[in-house]
Amino acid sequence: MKTSLTEMLKKNFGDLQISFLEETRMVINVPKEQILDVLAFIKDNGYDFFALVSCVDWINEEELELVYIVSSYLIKNKLDIIVKTRIPRANPIFRTITPVFPNAEPYEREIHELFGVKFEGHPRLIPLFLERNYKIPPFRKDFDSRKYVKDVFDAVPSIEEEK
Amino acid sequence: MVRHVLELILVPFLALIIGLFLLGLARKVIARIHWRYGPPLLQPVIDIIRLFSQKSVSHGKIFDLGVLISLIGSFLVILFLPFGVFTPLAGSGGLLVILYVMLFAPIGIALSGGEGANPNISIGISRKLILSLSYEIPFLFILLSVMTYYHTISIVGAVNSQQTGGWALFSWPLVLPGVAYFMILPAMLGLRPFDMATAPQEISSGPQTEYGGKYLALVTIEHGLAIFIGIGLFVNLFLGGGNLWGSSVNSFLNTGWGVLISPVIFFLKMLIVFLLGLFIHAVFPRFRMEQAIKYLWRWPTLIAFVGLVIVLIVK
Amino acid sequence: MDRNQLRKWFEDPVKMGHKYSLGAVYFCTGCGIIEVPPVITARWDAERFGVVPVATPRQANLFLITGYVSVKTLRAIIRTYEQMPDPKYLVGFGSCPINGGMYWDSYNTIKHLDKYVPVDGWIAGCMPRPEAIFIAVTHLWTLIDKDMADGYKRYKKYYKQYRRNQEMVLPNIEWPPLYPID
Repeated sequence: MKTSLTEMLKKNFGDLQISFLEETRMVINVPKEQILDVLAFIKDNGYDFFALVSCVDWINEEELELVYIVSSYLIKNKLDIIVKTRIPRANPIFRTITPVFPNAEPYEREIHELFGVKFEGHPRLIPLFLERNYKIPPFRKDFDSRKYVKDVFDAVPSIEEEK
Repeated sequence: MVRHVLELILVPFLALIIGLFLLGLARKVIARIHWRYGPPLLQPVIDIIRLFSQKSVSHGKIFDLGVLISLIGSFLVILFLPFGVFTPLAGSGGLLVILYVMLFAPIGIALSGGEGANPNISIGISRKLILSLSYEIPFLFILLSVMTYYHTISIVGAVNSQQTGGWALFSWPLVLPGVAYFMILPAMLGLRPFDMATAPQEISSGPQTEYGGKYLALVTIEHGLAIFIGIGLFVNLFLGGGNLWGSSVNSFLNTGWGVLISPVIFFLKMLIVFLLGLFIHAVFPRFRMEQAIKYLWRWPTLIAFVGLVIVLIVK
Repeated sequence: MDRNQLRKWFEDPVKMGHKYSLGAVYFCTGCGIIEVPPVITARWDAERFGVVPVATPRQANLFLITGYVSVKTLRAIIRTYEQMPDPKYLVGFGSCPINGGMYWDSYNTIKHLDKYVPVDGWIAGCMPRPEAIFIAVTHLWTLIDKDMADGYKRYKKYYKQYRRNQEMVLPNIEWPPLYPID
């Protein structure tokens, strides 16, 4: 099964970098224009359980990496497929994958508010957990947490009581 | 004359004390069944003291009025229940008056719940009224069989007939309605498995959601009175409330000693019935609404109907 | 406890009522709520102290803030606290409401709860054991005896400062001020 999926991917999409971390974990590195086609192709081959989308901040290479994990419940000898793309860090705008996997909506909201990635075409891009506005999104590696706490939370004065 | 006025004041007061005592006893007995110590017996009194001293929030005039209506309805029903030999207002139509005045309590709370703009209140009230609908049908059959057997509508007449003829629960035509009444008693009192109207975990206490301070104190008092009414009616109609077994023993009740002893006998019978209901309440989970309706319209209705047919055949 | 002393009941029944009938709002704030069900159930019984969980804040007396407070939770806590009828007591539970606890440099938690709602007492621990909760309840009784548990009075008196602090942390507060600020 895994060899046939590898062959089909190579046949349809040209030269993708496919490697195997273990026997059942396949990692595909995709350029960012082909992400929707690759995911739709994988979904058509029976891998329709979308686990998560996450984000990694490669600050030295000035790129953000989006990681999609897709698996299946019904296929025997199934694989866990990890699809990775990279987008530039300075102006991170990407497209949403909710047309293919509709349950990616809250994950993309979380990445939007914590990393600052704007997903075009997302039906509901409003904050999920956070309440305040942050100049630098909190999960990026150049966000100084202690400085933020000193500026915002320690600046709130205590209640002064009259004696 | 003086005796009547004294009874009118004394009986609701005694009903209040007994109702609050039964509420405290309920918490203690349930705690002991759960293998823990419970609160002290007078904990409802402490709760009511605390609640009356909190500054409550009102939602309008009808909000206050609804709670008062339900409390007044409960007090009115108590005046019609004979409590031993005390019979404040027991006229000749007692059972019919009780049948419709007993519904003042949920309707009063429904009235005030409309003012409090909380959807939990409406869910709780709809559950309470649907539950009332489902237990009213076997209740009607039971009351019809009692009325037919004793040829009277007044409760005092039923109690007096049991003075000579033995308790109704153990005289053979009325066994089945008695058993059916005991089966619907948890639904009337709001004990598990039928306490879905005031479910703290599901609908955050149903109709009592917006009641703080003095309103909650009044609702707690009304809950205690409702327990008194539900069990008191059962004891009067089926257990010969205030009378002992046998006509020769009961002759002392017409003397001066009867004034002191018959309320005590009534209270002891109430205690035993309440404890039996509590043992079921402490270990059962809660029914869903459709399960409750299916149960209440099937077995107690059937048993009460068969009892009614038997009574009609005999008389 | 002096619950059995009749003389005190007749002298000041209101204070004794506030002490021995504490209705706690069942608001599960943070990770400390895992310590509350063992306290309420059969092993460490809290009902014998008079502490009973109630379903809504309108019926409640005591508010236990168990665990860390994120900014979104602070919004819900303020709304719940303002719905409770006077007199009310608020107890901070664990080390996170005291000074931030484990999340002292987090971007989304409140470090000192005392600046936003008035707190009557703190319980140290991460998480405190159920016996610590009982010791806290008995301390609260002594505070009520001495009239020192006056968080609700402080909230009314210094409401302008509390509201200013709340508005500094929460971006938009959609409910109007509870007491009039000029």
